[in-house]
Amino acid sequence: MDLTRREMIKMSAAGFAAAALNISLPTTSAANEEIVVDKWIKGTCRFCGTGCGIYAGVRNGQLAGIRGNPQAVTNFGFLCVKGFKGYISMYHPDRLKFPMMRGADDKFHKVSWDDALNKVANKFKELQEKFGKDSVAFYGSGQCMTEESYTFNKLWKGGFRSNMVEGNPRLCMASAVGGYITTFGTDEPAGSYADIEKARTIFIVGSNMAECHPILFRRVARHKLQNPDNVNIMVCEPRLTPTARIADVWLPADPGTDLAVFHCMARELIKNNWTDAWYINNLCRFSTGAQDVDFKAYVDFLEQFTPEAVEKITRCPAGNIKEAARLFGSHGPSMSLWTMGLNQRTRGVWANNLIHNLHLISGNICKEGADSFSITGQPNACGGVRETGSLCQLLPGTRSVTDAAARADVEKSWKLPPGTIDPKPGFHTMEMFAKLGAENDQTKPLKAMLTSTTNPAQSLPNAPKYFKGMKEGFLVVLDIFPTRTTQLADVILPAAFIYEKGGVYGCSERRSQLTQKCVDPPGEAKSDVWIAAQIAKRMGMERLIPWNGDDPQIAYQMAWDDYRECVKLTEHSLYGMTYDRLKQLEAGLQWPCPDEKSPGTARRYVRGYDPIMNMPEIVKVPSSALIYFYGDKKHEGKANVLLRPYKGAEEPPDKDYPFFLTTGRVIEQWHTGTMTMRVAEIARSKPNAYLEIHPSDAKEYGIKEGDMVKIASRRGFNILPARVVKNSLPGILFVPWFDQEWDRMINRVTIDAFDEGSKQPEFKICAVKIEKLGEPKDVSDMYIISDPNAPFPEKV
Amino acid sequence: MIITGSAIMVRSGTDKSVERKLEAFPQVTFHGKSNSGTDLIVNFECGDQEELESLCRTIRDSIPEIVDIGHIYVNFEDEIEKIKGGLS
Repeated sequence: MDLTRREMIKMSAAGFAAAALNISLPTTSAANEEIVVDKWIKGTCRFCGTGCGIYAGVRNGQLAGIRGNPQAVTNFGFLCVKGFKGYISMYHPDRLKFPMMRGADDKFHKVSWDDALNKVANKFKELQEKFGKDSVAFYGSGQCMTEESYTFNKLWKGGFRSNMVEGNPRLCMASAVGGYITTFGTDEPAGSYADIEKARTIFIVGSNMAECHPILFRRVARHKLQNPDNVNIMVCEPRLTPTARIADVWLPADPGTDLAVFHCMARELIKNNWTDAWYINNLCRFSTGAQDVDFKAYVDFLEQFTPEAVEKITRCPAGNIKEAARLFGSHGPSMSLWTMGLNQRTRGVWANNLIHNLHLISGNICKEGADSFSITGQPNACGGVRETGSLCQLLPGTRSVTDAAARADVEKSWKLPPGTIDPKPGFHTMEMFAKLGAENDQTKPLKAMLTSTTNPAQSLPNAPKYFKGMKEGFLVVLDIFPTRTTQLADVILPAAFIYEKGGVYGCSERRSQLTQKCVDPPGEAKSDVWIAAQIAKRMGMERLIPWNGDDPQIAYQMAWDDYRECVKLTEHSLYGMTYDRLKQLEAGLQWPCPDEKSPGTARRYVRGYDPIMNMPEIVKVPSSALIYFYGDKKHEGKANVLLRPYKGAEEPPDKDYPFFLTTGRVIEQWHTGTMTMRVAEIARSKPNAYLEIHPSDAKEYGIKEGDMVKIASRRGFNILPARVVKNSLPGILFVPWFDQEWDRMINRVTIDAFDEGSKQPEFKICAVKIEKLGEPKDVSDMYIISDPNAPFPEKV
Repeated sequence: MIITGSAIMVRSGTDKSVERKLEAFPQVTFHGKSNSGTDLIVNFECGDQEELESLCRTIRDSIPEIVDIGHIYVNFEDEIEKIKGGLS
């Protein structure tokens, strides 16, 4: 880089940063951004669920820089380390560049697209003819673009007449969906990120935002720093994470016990009259889930959850719970934010319900700064999977396949004969993988699966239990890199990265944003929509999925328009979000957005904000109602305050397995590390997984920093270096889950028990034992699977 | 070579002191600040991302008036060439 260009880049970079903060910098006015890159293309970050707006700089046909979009109201120009660096992985030499099929020698061999697609289509047809329409499954991802999830969902539910459609959001967000639907009757939050800066009390639950959603955490931290005496942060989380370190009140409850904490807070709110009588009388219905009860029954039910009793159950100090309730109820508006700590549980839906309870009885919802807000883990779990209905029980618009009117509406939109869509839900994720297997295995009704943008062989809990089914079934994998899952595949289809195709992502705050194609994919890699449409064409379903041309920008827009039309008259309408509008608007739009003049909706259920309140063709809302939960199945505009009984984790520690194990992300790495581990600086900063252990536990077991430790559950074991830290309560161990190396793949240890309501597994809690194996050993090998033909480490 | 456009958030009234302390870091170029003095606009120039993270950590540790360092623009065109060549 010559000096002139370097100086220009410096001035441009400073100018962008200054503009993001509305600062005028005379020194940068000479910078000519045209010479820094050839063009800047607007898009969205593809990591986490925040939905940060970016501009991708393209020079000589490849990405040369990323800058945050100052006009994006999600991130205001700021990006985190993954946001800046993750894209570099798209240029890694390990990219899958051509289709491959497994041969008779059990090795992958390069084939043409025609051969690969014909093989897939013919095999799917053969299996469906032999074993029925439900013998072939789709397993997608919260990282697929909306158009991709919609296309696969339409192909399966409309074309194959099969609801065997799932996605990895089942593993991260299903309990949040279940919580919203059982409480409010419809999915996703009422409010927006903008409530963060209006809240006076922020309650962060089961979320290490500082590492998992750093840009949102920056907003929380900045709000606190600017108002140190007027804004309070409370964190309920068993580990003293970087998030918990800024808390005014820390509620360190043992994993899986926090239901008692939330009930106790509700009891304190009522005892101290920190409730809102108008909300209780007009917007709350008290219910056990099976039957409605009155407010007194709720008060009586809560009486068992005294602060002192709850401290005994949870180890959370009674005084901290009282103070948390005081701040929540008397120092509002209050906003709750949560992620996987609340969702990845056998009691995940209930935990979500109990947070909603606090907001409803204290009147902390549907007001500025007050919301019960689930943050999603992946960039398009909300937009792509929840909203398009790409789960086994859903239809587009997050409607149920069991709802006859919804089926009829979707059939009409898809121009299908009435009765085409199967009213019976398909298998949920854990059932799907449990029932995938060989053609000659009569206990396995699923014979084939197509996965996209996900790595279940590493990310499923108790993963080894499911390897055999993946290996023996006919497995087709769309991805950009070799993974543990491609090692079990029959066909590998090379996919395009977000900037090589474009498309829409919908983030946690119901905001859809369009990314436009920036560069071409490498080799013969193709977009997912092209792949789905080509399979459809080869299976005689070209009329259902006509967007099978080679230009992804045209195909994706056609899929998007089809989707807009399909959900036009639903509570989740985004009919007004045309591609043209999404191209023009810097920050995208929030649904409901029912027509092209709609500015989108920052606050649902409130007259004057939510256009659905005035759309009787979608829901009938009394004209006198200012706030009305129109998802209420009883049509009373109320939300359910649910009297969920206390129940702990599926597998609490005992004498044989005396520790809690909890798992999670770290700031540098993304999910199973297939992208981030290929960015050398990221890999070097977090080269391997490790075991966090409290000093008192380490002392008892004679473990020092770096010692190699075997951690075992009833299902499997890992061998990991120890990190002796005071982050957790004694008795709680933590392992991050990004590492692909066999001995450090923590999902060989986790439990696959799941929530009865949401079917989401309990990744966050299982019982383990530990044993010191030896002295410190260097395991910072930054392991990745580079060769698709590298043998799977265990005989399957 | 990585070049960033970044904002350093500092405690109110400490901007001049932080500016002086930043002069000890040759990888940092100061461009200006907000009217409130709580946001300073700078470039960081580093060999790679790891060096950038290390530099930011060092600056945070040695200047306690700093509340946060956020990056808004990162140019990494040199790194693309490295990774394509298998050097990264």
